[in-house]
Amino acid sequence: MHSYTERIREAAKRVLLEKRVDGVIGFRKGTVPFMNEPFLALSPQQADLLVWDGNCAMNLANYLPKRTDRVAVTAKGCDSRSIVIHLLENQIRREQLYVLGIPCQGMTDKRKLADRLNGKGILGVEERGDELRVYGRGFEYSFERGEFLQENCAVCEHKNPVLYDELLGEPVAEQQVDRYEEIRKIESMPPDRKRLFFEDLVRPCIRCYACRNACPACFCPTCFVDEKKPQWVGKTIDPTDTRTFHFLRAFHMAGRCTDCGSCERACPVGIRVRLFTRKLEKEIKELYGYEAGVILDERPPLEAFRPEDPEPFLDG
Amino acid sequence: MSDWEPKIIAFLCNWCSYGAADLAGVSRLQYPPNIRVIRVPCSSRINPKFILAAFRHGVDGVWVSGCHPGDCHYLEGNLYARRKFALLKSQLEYTGIIEPGRLHFSWISSAEGARFAEKVGQVVESVRAAGPAKHFVKKQAEVP
Amino acid sequence: MPDICIAKENFPELIERLMGRYRVYAPVERGRYYEFAQIGKAAEADLSFSNTLLSPKGLFHPQAERMFEYSLARDDPDAGIVKEAQKEFAPRLILGIRPCDARAFDLDDANFDTETLKDPWWIRRRDATTMIGLACDSPCSTCFCTSMGSGPYDTAGLDVLLADIGEGYAAEVLSEKGKAALEDVCGSSAAGACLQVAEKKGAAEQSIAAAFDPVAISKIGMLDLYNSPMWEEVQFACINCGACTFLCPTCWCFDIQDEVYADRGDRLRLWDSCMFPLFTLHGSGHNPRSIKTQRVRQRFMHKLKYYQDRYNRGPACVGCGRCVQACPVNIDIRQVGLKMASTVSSCSA
Repeated sequence: MHSYTERIREAAKRVLLEKRVDGVIGFRKGTVPFMNEPFLALSPQQADLLVWDGNCAMNLANYLPKRTDRVAVTAKGCDSRSIVIHLLENQIRREQLYVLGIPCQGMTDKRKLADRLNGKGILGVEERGDELRVYGRGFEYSFERGEFLQENCAVCEHKNPVLYDELLGEPVAEQQVDRYEEIRKIESMPPDRKRLFFEDLVRPCIRCYACRNACPACFCPTCFVDEKKPQWVGKTIDPTDTRTFHFLRAFHMAGRCTDCGSCERACPVGIRVRLFTRKLEKEIKELYGYEAGVILDERPPLEAFRPEDPEPFLDG
Repeated sequence: MSDWEPKIIAFLCNWCSYGAADLAGVSRLQYPPNIRVIRVPCSSRINPKFILAAFRHGVDGVWVSGCHPGDCHYLEGNLYARRKFALLKSQLEYTGIIEPGRLHFSWISSAEGARFAEKVGQVVESVRAAGPAKHFVKKQAEVP
Repeated sequence: MPDICIAKENFPELIERLMGRYRVYAPVERGRYYEFAQIGKAAEADLSFSNTLLSPKGLFHPQAERMFEYSLARDDPDAGIVKEAQKEFAPRLILGIRPCDARAFDLDDANFDTETLKDPWWIRRRDATTMIGLACDSPCSTCFCTSMGSGPYDTAGLDVLLADIGEGYAAEVLSEKGKAALEDVCGSSAAGACLQVAEKKGAAEQSIAAAFDPVAISKIGMLDLYNSPMWEEVQFACINCGACTFLCPTCWCFDIQDEVYADRGDRLRLWDSCMFPLFTLHGSGHNPRSIKTQRVRQRFMHKLKYYQDRYNRGPACVGCGRCVQACPVNIDIRQVGLKMASTVSSCSA
């Protein structure tokens, strides 16, 4: 993964010196373990601050809508698919972008590590290939990185960018994996249990909207939460309102969510909001054979129709 | 409980299903009085927010009816709507917001007055079997 | 200086007796994190926590609360009358609060308890609450209370400060309320614990790295900070999500919304965030902070500069580090503070 750091810096310096772009969006080293800060490098000197490791999880496509400058951006598989969605939805023009594609080997989940260490404070983490060295006050452990991948990375089927101007590494092997095992488990629950499951899931929500803001596909000038006349959802932590918020936000992602996991990563209380979006993703794949952001020429599913579309919602 | 009657909001598209309701009325066909009709220009006007809002207000069932696919007054409205409805119903039931039997969709043309009356009966019975809706109703913000 | 030592084996009994006189709130484990909640049994309190995920400000200023209500129900004798919502102000005790969070409430008082404007519910809750704090011996790597005028053994805002001395807690009584809380506690003399507590205090303070100097920031001209080019770089990563403001013990901004139903209506107060674009949207449609840079700058200027200038009691930050831990894009207030403190002033002081 570290070789990516060098390649990103080299490519960034090059495109800045050649004046192909006004800035390069990437990450610079974070101040706390497991975090990196999205960073806009505006000069070759600043490009030397760019880094890449298993903590570059936030979807940088989030910083693209409404930009008026030309930017290069580092993009993993999921990020590149979000860029495709942005292009399809006219949030940025292709000419403004220079995509530095990064074949991704998965991002690290700090919560999984915290669980394993039983809450012991982690002071630092180092990646050496497939090894994760974690140290704190009076301890140092070595783990296999693959055990602590973010949940979305563990079931990722699009590690390689689908859209790029430059690919900064050899493509990695894709996997075919069952992405929906947990979804099917929930589907098989009786209605009351489903309801209780989701009530429990969103109970800790404090309505901070970190999930919404971290999501590259959430860019409405006025979010439905802020609509007042009529007010569709209240802003308090009333359980019905909170369930409405999560339901509707996920529904707005139908056919647009690339499962980048930024929402879950951003949530301060650790709500597994992808349990909402992945059900829609599964339905869309089964009903319409569509996967978000994989093909640049295909309109998203809710903007299109086919004469033979199934009608499972009709009674009998 | 025994005198509870289901309260159902029926979103009917102006050109077909609303016409069918009119025809049923003019033909003096009897159907249960539990539906409250909201006329929309096209079934594709239905926004998931409407259905959520209806359940939040405490209705027991929602029914959306439009033109047959291929016969939409606006040519393609219901063809787009189909995809929306499929995902909406599946997601609402998956998240436990509604139990099966509360949300219904149909395609009824303006000539099908009898079918409309029959469908009302089916929807009402289905919602009656699901019982009064109580889990996704907001009567007041549950805050201290 | 501690006044009394309470053996840990006697502590559950103390808690039970306190529960007889107060509604006791203590850190409770909820899976991955802790939160302050009312306990029903002494065993629910878990003082082995480092700090709660959400700050305890929710105990005085809840995420959402009903202010006023009215009903139009026919059988309601008060139909049509707007009434103040009933609230609970029975005596309360918060056990195990950290010094940083207790100090934060003192800082929040500047907003809710002024000469001219007094928030009735905040003040009554504050009056009804006794705070028994727990000193920190293992500060997190994200803590920087010592740079913010606080510290792991800070007594500001507390009625009692407990220090863990191994087999028991050394308790320092700091106020009449604290005295009343511990009036019937059976403990032993604290004479021998003084030195131990002082040593632990020193060790804890040493273990916290210096962050930035808020005094330096207070000396720099406001406009120099405001117009500094540093904000363009600081703001880039920010996604305006509001997690920092919701977790921060010194962020107090709120919104007031009316929710009207068929037969009743509520006026609600709920947390708002200067990070949200809607926060400064005027009725006319004008938004003075419509650009993200303005909002990001506003937050740090408020906490580290405006509050200092206005109230002369240090920054509106206690160094609890929650924002540093929660920010999804790792915007670190310690870094921002350093940048602010090193801004060149165009005029002296």
